[in-house]
Amino acid sequence: MQYFTQTGWPAFFLLFTLIMLALYLAREPAHKAIKGIFDGLYRAFRLIAISLNRSSIHMRERNREVLLNIGREHGERELHKEFHEITQFVQRDLGGYPQLQQDIREHISHIQTDYEASQIVPIALPEWTEAVDSLAKLKMNNHTANSRVLEQIHETAQLQHKDNIKVFRETNAKRHTLLQKILPHWRKLSFSIDDTGERLTDILTRSQKIDTHMARFEEIHQGSDKALRFLRMSALTQLLISTLVITIAIGGAFFNFHLIALPMSEMVGSAQRIGGAKVSDLAALVIICMEISAGIFLLESLRITKLFPLISAMDDKTRRIIMVTASIVLITLACTESALAFMRDQIASDLALLRSSLSGQVMEYSTVEQGGINHWIPLAANMVLGFILPLALTMIAIPLEYLLQSGRTVFGNLFANLISLCATLIRLCANFARQSGKVLLSIYDLIIAGPLFIESIVKHSWPKPIKNTQEKWETHLDEYDISKTGVKK
Amino acid sequence: MKPLNCIYLLLINIILLASCSTDNTRGHTRGYYLLLDTSGTYTEELNKAKQVINYILATLEPGDSFAVARIDSASFSEKDIITKVVLDARPSVSVAQKRAFASTINAFVSSVKSSPHTDISGGLLQGIEFLNEAKVNHRNILIYSDLQEDLPKGYIRDVNMKLDGFTVKALNVTKLRADNQNPRSYMERVASWQSKIITGGGNWELINDLEKPDALL
Repeated sequence: MQYFTQTGWPAFFLLFTLIMLALYLAREPAHKAIKGIFDGLYRAFRLIAISLNRSSIHMRERNREVLLNIGREHGERELHKEFHEITQFVQRDLGGYPQLQQDIREHISHIQTDYEASQIVPIALPEWTEAVDSLAKLKMNNHTANSRVLEQIHETAQLQHKDNIKVFRETNAKRHTLLQKILPHWRKLSFSIDDTGERLTDILTRSQKIDTHMARFEEIHQGSDKALRFLRMSALTQLLISTLVITIAIGGAFFNFHLIALPMSEMVGSAQRIGGAKVSDLAALVIICMEISAGIFLLESLRITKLFPLISAMDDKTRRIIMVTASIVLITLACTESALAFMRDQIASDLALLRSSLSGQVMEYSTVEQGGINHWIPLAANMVLGFILPLALTMIAIPLEYLLQSGRTVFGNLFANLISLCATLIRLCANFARQSGKVLLSIYDLIIAGPLFIESIVKHSWPKPIKNTQEKWETHLDEYDISKTGVKK
Repeated sequence: MKPLNCIYLLLINIILLASCSTDNTRGHTRGYYLLLDTSGTYTEELNKAKQVINYILATLEPGDSFAVARIDSASFSEKDIITKVVLDARPSVSVAQKRAFASTINAFVSSVKSSPHTDISGGLLQGIEFLNEAKVNHRNILIYSDLQEDLPKGYIRDVNMKLDGFTVKALNVTKLRADNQNPRSYMERVASWQSKIITGGGNWELINDLEKPDALL
């Protein structure tokens, strides 16, 4: 600006006109260049967006497959477990049904026999009734003789009555005995029937459970949206829970590390360092890693986890060997840690004693030491923890498996969403590039608006060329008469 | 990646790390060379020096080096090293070494006799030699003195000290009676030592408040 005020405005206008003229002359190639650059950018962005979209779709498909596969595996495992339990139930309980049936039959037969035996036998009619009958038909005048006969009959009747009562009582006693014998059979029968009923109810419950699992498994197998939603929710929950458990386990491992790091320096020394870390610390870390590895192998060989499908697929003998080896390693390491915890206590006491002696507080420390209370409790606690913590760390394999499986699906979905978001942003960039190109072209034309205006005036002042219409076509045909002769007139 | 492959990679990493461990053996070790002034009335200050020594001993770790030497009339000599130690890698052994060290210092402090002259520069040169031989990573020379040098006749100490990578800490620099009359002499004395150390390429620190032991390390 200062230059123009010095040289004068005419120079500025001259320069501006020259630039405008140059821009006008270079309009077509400049337009092509601008269009080419921005179209190129647009196409590149579009290509990237399409590619990212495809990757996102592919990733979603892959995540879906993995999720369904994991769900299928879990479903199969659950069904297998249920069927295994049902098989065991059938072998254990239903296998004994012929025997049970035989028992029930025997009980029923016993009850029937005893019941039949306990039925009331009708007592025979007394013999004197016929005598009374014939006596009543006799026409006797002698009352004395009658009364004597009647007395005899009475006596006979009394005797018979007594006999009858005696027989009746004896029969009843026998019947009661028989009925008492029925009671245990009855109870056993009732128990057998109740037991069978309970088992059948259990079977029904299990079969309902299997039905539920089966329905879910079928949905997973079909890959329905409902199953996918369920599996996604399940994966997220599993991820959160397993992360929490793993965090707790890491806390345990950290505590375990501090329990054995100091005594390890007594074994491997603490002066050497690898990458800034003491060798003794690394040795302690390696021991903890070995414990976790042994735990993983133990759980793998027990088929609780399936981190290594190779181990699960091994035959029982090999698996048993791995199981025993892992258990031995684990127990040995746990015992070693317990001993190290003991050693740690000794070293820590020695260090504390040294520090107190250096600071001139020997008497105070030794007074506490002699009490014996402060010394043995932490020592025992250290040793117990040294033994238990390695065994507890073996369980880390279960949440680890869940973490890996659920993490794969959850983070896979998250990554797919991220890629999709990137694709959208890049598509926005593509549109922005295209619009920017258009705006730039308009600005270019705006700068050379003057020459363009002149050009339009000049174009309008000249006669218009005949448009390429039917009329123009016919004019050409008349002029050349191509349709008839093919030769120009 | 499969878990088995992860374990293989971990094992390979451990082997690689183990193979390069020998180079870093003394990478984090510290070395301390403490000069104790035994001239004149400064011997009265040695009981305080014992506390400093005990504090340093308590904070040393396996692999560290520590030596205590006296400043007498001619300090550039191995004979002036009262006791020295390179702490063993095993904690139990290093604790025993510390105990022995502390007991030697106790014996020295109870039986020390004052020397007629003060050769601080000679002690400093001896300290540089000791720490260079010790091949420690962090080299520290502690001068427990009033920094008043008084060389016997015929002793030359105007040599250039190579103190690259050294930290020299002057502890308990007491004020002399003359310093009280003219503090400038005290300041000049301290400044002269500071310039000598910095010219040699070392770091200089002055610690008079021994109640803050963290400053020692």
